[in-house]
Amino acid sequence: MKMTPELTAAQANMAPGIITAEGFLGNDTRNLSTIIDEDAQIMSRLHLNRDTIVEKLRHFMEEGRKGLGEPVTVDTEWLVKTDEARGRLTCPWEDNISRKTNVTIERKDTGEKLFYTDLSIHLLEAHGFLEGRGSSFRLNLESVKHVLKM
Amino acid sequence: MSYLIAPLAIGAISGVMAALIAIVDLITNNYGEVNIAINGGKKNLAVKGGSPLLLTLSSEKLFLPSACGGRGSCGACKCKVLTDIGPHLPTETPYLTPEEQKDNVRLACQIKVKADIGIDIPEDLFNVKQFHATVLSIKDVTYDIKEVLYDLNGETVEFESGKYVQLVIPPYDKIKGSTQRAYSMSSRPSNKTQIEVLVRLVPGGIATTYVHEHLKVGEKMDLIGPFGEFKRTPGHSVMLCIAGGSGMAPFKSMLYDMLETGEKDREVWYFFGARSTRDMFYLEDMRDLETKLPNFHFVPALSEPEEGDGWDGPTGLITDVLDTYLKQHISAEGKTLEGYLCGSPGMIDACNRVMNENGITQDNIYYDKFA
Repeated sequence: MKMTPELTAAQANMAPGIITAEGFLGNDTRNLSTIIDEDAQIMSRLHLNRDTIVEKLRHFMEEGRKGLGEPVTVDTEWLVKTDEARGRLTCPWEDNISRKTNVTIERKDTGEKLFYTDLSIHLLEAHGFLEGRGSSFRLNLESVKHVLKM
Repeated sequence: MSYLIAPLAIGAISGVMAALIAIVDLITNNYGEVNIAINGGKKNLAVKGGSPLLLTLSSEKLFLPSACGGRGSCGACKCKVLTDIGPHLPTETPYLTPEEQKDNVRLACQIKVKADIGIDIPEDLFNVKQFHATVLSIKDVTYDIKEVLYDLNGETVEFESGKYVQLVIPPYDKIKGSTQRAYSMSSRPSNKTQIEVLVRLVPGGIATTYVHEHLKVGEKMDLIGPFGEFKRTPGHSVMLCIAGGSGMAPFKSMLYDMLETGEKDREVWYFFGARSTRDMFYLEDMRDLETKLPNFHFVPALSEPEEGDGWDGPTGLITDVLDTYLKQHISAEGKTLEGYLCGSPGMIDACNRVMNENGITQDNIYYDKFA
């Protein structure tokens, strides 16, 4: 994929202090198209499917809401906490506004955790973007596969 | 020498262009001194024009609530603008209801002060201060909640229980700018020289990560407040308080305030939800309050008690426990029941439903919806 003007604008919005204080790229110096392309390759190598991941993440987020801010057991194997902070976040592509919903999934047997936001789901679903390396909210695909048992 | 002509010419043209841009910028963006008339002229500020309203007001020590530091992502800094300053911006509309837009409510962080304007803000905001505080103590009350006590270094705070302050988190690690986040005060109003808050760790959260992993006793930190409309009503109505996690903060403040101000006979039911005993805290303090406030009933409940918890109290979601108590234990005969909620929007919505189903009307339910 080439760096289109749209991707260039989105990458500019990902810098710290524009939409979030930390930004979306962590310490990743690659351009956005490379990040997306290389993550798509990792996804393929791990036999993961974008739609399936999105569906799972959304399922856990919604089930976690039932805990009313406290952790709740989901599908007997996971402990999920879904909570909301004040406000909304604009997608760096400026095509969506998400609530600030934080989700933590913990595998009860190993204690391994995965955390993500409402916006993480949109970024993956609409743009195939998992955030840059070193970003607090990067969805590491190995962790996704392991924690979600995919 | 001729090879220098082109670069010199380009350099000269660029210099002239830069100077022209600077002059035009100075003329077009120089708004001079403008006047902000607040609440019909109760307060008037003469300020330098051109900056966002939120920033302009804070530079004059007038603080509106803001949980994102003016980034336009929290929607907290709403104020009514009485002057025509143009249509709402696309960055404002997601945070404003159609009624608010019709009423010319604006986000102070998004609009710039370019000419004289009139605004309306709640009178309480005139009492909001910025405190240069020092961390006195940090205690783990659970594995993911810290109780932080600040000394105000000679300043004093006047507030009613239920109000919140904004912690100003300094830049750290890869966070380059300062950030503000709102936390209910758990300290009692009689203690005017200190402020206590409860901070629950949110993975990846800028403020909570700072408090849990970086903040040290003795460190200086700015707090801005008090803010909020959440407080108990005067009178004898029955208070039904519901919280979980760090939502404990305003109720701890209210209960000790009731004890200190002699409001001891009021009937209060406090439902506190946690998943297991490791998420439960202040049990002894609440049991002690039950002995001192004769009509105070503390109802802690666990949604998923673990093996070995030895829990013999109520179990289930706090809304289910509330529903059971409203139907079986709390008499509404001849009394007015009032709901007081502190938690996430999901928890507040669920509690509202249960209360409404049990005959408590919406105008008797109070909360600061932090999200």
